[in-house]
Amino acid sequence: MTSITLRGIEKTFGAETALRSCDLVISDREFLVLVGPSGSGKTTLLRIISGLEQATNGEIYFGDRLVNDIDVGDRDIAMVFQNYGLYPHMSVYNNMAFGLRRRKIPKQDIDRKVNEAAQMLGIGALLHRKPRQLSGGQRQRVALGRAIVRDPAVFLLDEPLSNLDAHLRTQMRSEILKVHRTVTATAVYVTHDQVEALTMGDRIAVMSDGVIQQVDTPEALYDRPVNRFVAGFIGTPPMGFLPGAVRRQPGTTKVTGEGLHVCLPSDLAGALPAGTSEVVVGVRPEALRLVADSFTEDESESWLQGIVDVIEPLGSEKHVLLTSAGVGLVAKLPRTSQVDVGQKITLAIEPTGGLHVFDADTGVALRPEDRR
Amino acid sequence: MTQVLQEKQRDTQRTSPRPDERRLRRIRTIPAVSTIVIAIGLATVAGPLYWMVTASFKTKTEVTALNPTMVPQDPTVDNYTGLITGSMPFTDFFLNSVVTSVVTAIGATFICALAGYSFSRGAYRLRSGFSLSILAVQMLPFAVLIGPLYLLMLKLHLLNTYTGLILGYTTFALPFGAWMMKGFIDSVPREIEEAARVDGYSRLGILFRVVLPLSLPGLSTTAVIIFINSWNNLLYPLTLVTDTEKLTLPPGLMQTFNGQFQFDWGGMMAATTVTSLPLVIAFFAVQKYMVRGMTAGALGGT
Repeated sequence: MTSITLRGIEKTFGAETALRSCDLVISDREFLVLVGPSGSGKTTLLRIISGLEQATNGEIYFGDRLVNDIDVGDRDIAMVFQNYGLYPHMSVYNNMAFGLRRRKIPKQDIDRKVNEAAQMLGIGALLHRKPRQLSGGQRQRVALGRAIVRDPAVFLLDEPLSNLDAHLRTQMRSEILKVHRTVTATAVYVTHDQVEALTMGDRIAVMSDGVIQQVDTPEALYDRPVNRFVAGFIGTPPMGFLPGAVRRQPGTTKVTGEGLHVCLPSDLAGALPAGTSEVVVGVRPEALRLVADSFTEDESESWLQGIVDVIEPLGSEKHVLLTSAGVGLVAKLPRTSQVDVGQKITLAIEPTGGLHVFDADTGVALRPEDRR
Repeated sequence: MTQVLQEKQRDTQRTSPRPDERRLRRIRTIPAVSTIVIAIGLATVAGPLYWMVTASFKTKTEVTALNPTMVPQDPTVDNYTGLITGSMPFTDFFLNSVVTSVVTAIGATFICALAGYSFSRGAYRLRSGFSLSILAVQMLPFAVLIGPLYLLMLKLHLLNTYTGLILGYTTFALPFGAWMMKGFIDSVPREIEEAARVDGYSRLGILFRVVLPLSLPGLSTTAVIIFINSWNNLLYPLTLVTDTEKLTLPPGLMQTFNGQFQFDWGGMMAATTVTSLPLVIAFFAVQKYMVRGMTAGALGGT
């Protein structure tokens, strides 16, 4: 049973602050993904969990054991590095056995564990090769193998797939999940790729500027982002953000702007603090539907208008990049949609699910309590 | 460099179907000019070496002949046998040189490896102070250190001993050797060390099982350079050794050939040839290592 608890973790490098008061609880056997743009502090947080880096402030618990002052080698962790970190002068077998030898494990046990792991990862035939004789995918498997033979309580992965090509990445994604199910360790996985995060994580912690913005399941992050950053980071193509003015009328609350007309559903309207005059409306690309210009005549509908910049045909659908009131956004439209570059189009906004409202200054999501 | 140049030339020739005549001629002359320059440089360096080796196989009359010969007319090995049978203690010189240089090379390289690791990876306040002061000491001229070193060895009763010479050579080898090892250890990716830390190894465990094996090319290069410097050192043995049979090769040859063997050019050339041989061997040993990229395959990008 190894849950990980981080309390008020802070890290400064000289004058630079890398992490500010991070709190996080990772349950036993959970697969938690730390995701964020580069420089958001996710790797630093992982290295603090591993013990390779010391936190400036805060406490780290494995289970109920405080591990701040416990050395890396004694924390019962295994780590997979971005660049694999294999020992170049050792064979694949020795790379995997190196950590076990340190722990004075009997030779036949080492042999059994290494062979089992190699079997599981399909590198049984490569045990006598040196890392330089392996392809990127094979090296990645060896790095995984080296981590799992140790049977660690905590499994840390630092962008392990970023050096692989797209095809291999998809394949390794499912293999890592398979490995995680087999080794039953608590896993923390760092990536900058939100698709990787969404597909792999039991829960995802979204980080930016050294702060954990939101921790939740992939679905909840997508449906109920707490702020503009999370809303814009999670989901491809990303959510579009359009500024607008709040107009309260009897029975309805609208947000309007240049080429923008949104009738807020009553729950969203109720969540607006009194006196709010400016907000930012967030629209998921799939909440947009191409309609005729006459659609704008109906006062009870929500819509936006923009000029088409680029059309990206993806086979099953098209992504239409457009500019509305000087802001760029994307609409996901059926492949049969008739649009041309430079054309002014009107898009209906489905008010349920795909529509979000953010505070214009703070970027905090304005939501009714029940959707929070 | 030359390869890039040649490729560029090939590109130019390929892409321009009707090249300007003059330009083509200019492009063709570049390799010719560089060949000539290299040849002149090579002749300057290798000429004396060639003369040394050929002269060592010439007879006494031929080596002093008024019309010098390029190739020994009557090759002889008398000059070499003379080194062993002659009155000069050449074998003693040779042995002294081998013992002091080899021991220095091994010992100093070991110390340099530890110092280099500390300079490269240590996280302590005085690290840059230490490493910079070591570099500053290295700037001092050879001759400045000789006086104090002599007095030290005198007080320690280490004059005319191997220990004294080895200590002297080591002081001279450490500054640059430590910096050189720092450079090699810097190039060992940190991730590999961190992997070993996660695997549970201590600092020293990591140094001996991961960092030094990966720095083998650096270790051997440093060792060979220290060996060459010690082997060539003239001033230290000249100062720290007064007994002729305790001398190493450079001062030994200088003193003996300047005295009773003054006109034995053949013998002197044979002695210098033998003296040069270990250096040549040492050089080729390093060259082989330098080419091999040991860290290839460690990281994803490479």
